[in-house]
Amino acid sequence: MESLIVALFVCLILALVTKYLSIPAIPFYILAGVLLGKAGGGLLTNNDVSQFFSEMGLIFLLFFMGLGLKPERIASNRAAVLTSGIIDLNVNMIIGFASAYLLGFSFTESLIIAAAFYISSTAMALTSLIENRKLMLRESDTVIWLMVFEDLVLILFLAILSAGNQNLIIFFVKIIAVLGVLYALAHYGKEFLVSILDRDDELPILFTFAAVLTTASFSMYLGVPETMMVIALGVAFATTDPDAFEQHARPFKDVFLVVFFVFFGVTVDFSGGANWFVIGAISLLAVASKLISGLLTGIFIHGSALSGLEIWANTIARGEFSIALAVLYGSPVVSTTIAAMVIVTSIVGSFMAKYSGILRRGIVSRNRHKASQRRIH
Amino acid sequence: MALRSLDLPGVGTKYEFETDKGDTVAIFFTKTGGIQMYTLQKGCKTPSAAEMSPVEARRLGNILTGAIIEADQESVEIAFSALADLRITIHTFFVTAAVVGKTIEELQIRAKTGATVIAVCRHDRNIINPPPTFVFEQGDAALVIGESDQIKTFESEIMVK
Repeated sequence: MESLIVALFVCLILALVTKYLSIPAIPFYILAGVLLGKAGGGLLTNNDVSQFFSEMGLIFLLFFMGLGLKPERIASNRAAVLTSGIIDLNVNMIIGFASAYLLGFSFTESLIIAAAFYISSTAMALTSLIENRKLMLRESDTVIWLMVFEDLVLILFLAILSAGNQNLIIFFVKIIAVLGVLYALAHYGKEFLVSILDRDDELPILFTFAAVLTTASFSMYLGVPETMMVIALGVAFATTDPDAFEQHARPFKDVFLVVFFVFFGVTVDFSGGANWFVIGAISLLAVASKLISGLLTGIFIHGSALSGLEIWANTIARGEFSIALAVLYGSPVVSTTIAAMVIVTSIVGSFMAKYSGILRRGIVSRNRHKASQRRIH
Repeated sequence: MALRSLDLPGVGTKYEFETDKGDTVAIFFTKTGGIQMYTLQKGCKTPSAAEMSPVEARRLGNILTGAIIEADQESVEIAFSALADLRITIHTFFVTAAVVGKTIEELQIRAKTGATVIAVCRHDRNIINPPPTFVFEQGDAALVIGESDQIKTFESEIMVK
């Protein structure tokens, strides 16, 4: 219990400082976990309570993701979502997988790293667009839809990775059946759900918490993983009143997720046998490969490499989903690598997102300068 | 002027329109609770932005609708463009000595001005739709609704200073 209190207190201070400096908090939560965990003499240790909190953090993160996925929205924007999404997926998965495999990871480990390498942090990308006042830029729309596409791919990954030894077809049928049941419940119970959500007392928040936990617990009987269950619940509830659910689930998500990040940091061990060359290479490649996919997207969608630079700046940061993959499927070495990648990319990303305007102006004026020189000769 | 509204997943709602002169204005209601307004001058590449709280945004809205805002007494004009450009003004008044102790009926507010008192704020309590027998007290603030001419008449005939 002491560990948890220390962790929460440290995070409170970190949250205050990072919000004041308007930089992302996630890398600092992880760093705090690393420094106060194994490396820092074990001030923080994983125990049952922190384990439970972390698990809740992951469950609420995925429930939230499900709530945000409104299938009809994706269908209405198909062309734009598909082009940028497919470029992003191919470039980053291929570079991520190839570099992990060549650096000596096994086939499965490389797959996990590639997935974590591919998926940018939706939270950090959207916060950066809002805080740096970039919402009006045309590249922002591309970035926003890119995040939606990445979320969909992540769900697919989670489904495939969690299938384990089960027959994939039966597994997917089960997932679809679960989704169908939840959809039907949300559809026929809509009035009841809305009437609960509209109340002013403790019922809405109690109901949301109970619904998420109950659904997660059913995974034991159905052979469908918790992750899939809560995403499906989110997608089904999104058809009723997603804003109300977001409002009632947010306190749980915010607190549990912070604990999740810190105690993920605690499990990371940079001291024992960490290969700094591999870690450094993956982190730098993670920054570089989003540059390639960003430039390609910029050229294909907006016809401008400069737009690509803007897309890159806002999608460098990897975060919550990469860590989720590490926690769910990563071996200790893989987790350490992903932790380092998240810390490096999110810090580089937050700086690039802040100064991308200056970068773009710099390139434009240099090109003009060159062009004018050429004209003179 | 075509107004487009768009729901951006995870971000909020976007409203954008281009003015006849070619400038673009975009408003974002973000999920974080803030309101961002961007303006992009015609031919310009980088927009400028301002972030507002909901209260600030409402103030700006009042200014843009052309209503005069004083420190305490403010008025809001609502235009329903679909209903033959129906314009309704809501104005707040601090009651003057001329009406203190009188009822709405005695003052013949509706008959004389056409405006209606729809709410009275008394000691931080709101009385919505006060009855004709309602008696004004010192310190009340009255919310009056009507056309802008009716509001002017109300100010000159009833709320005599």
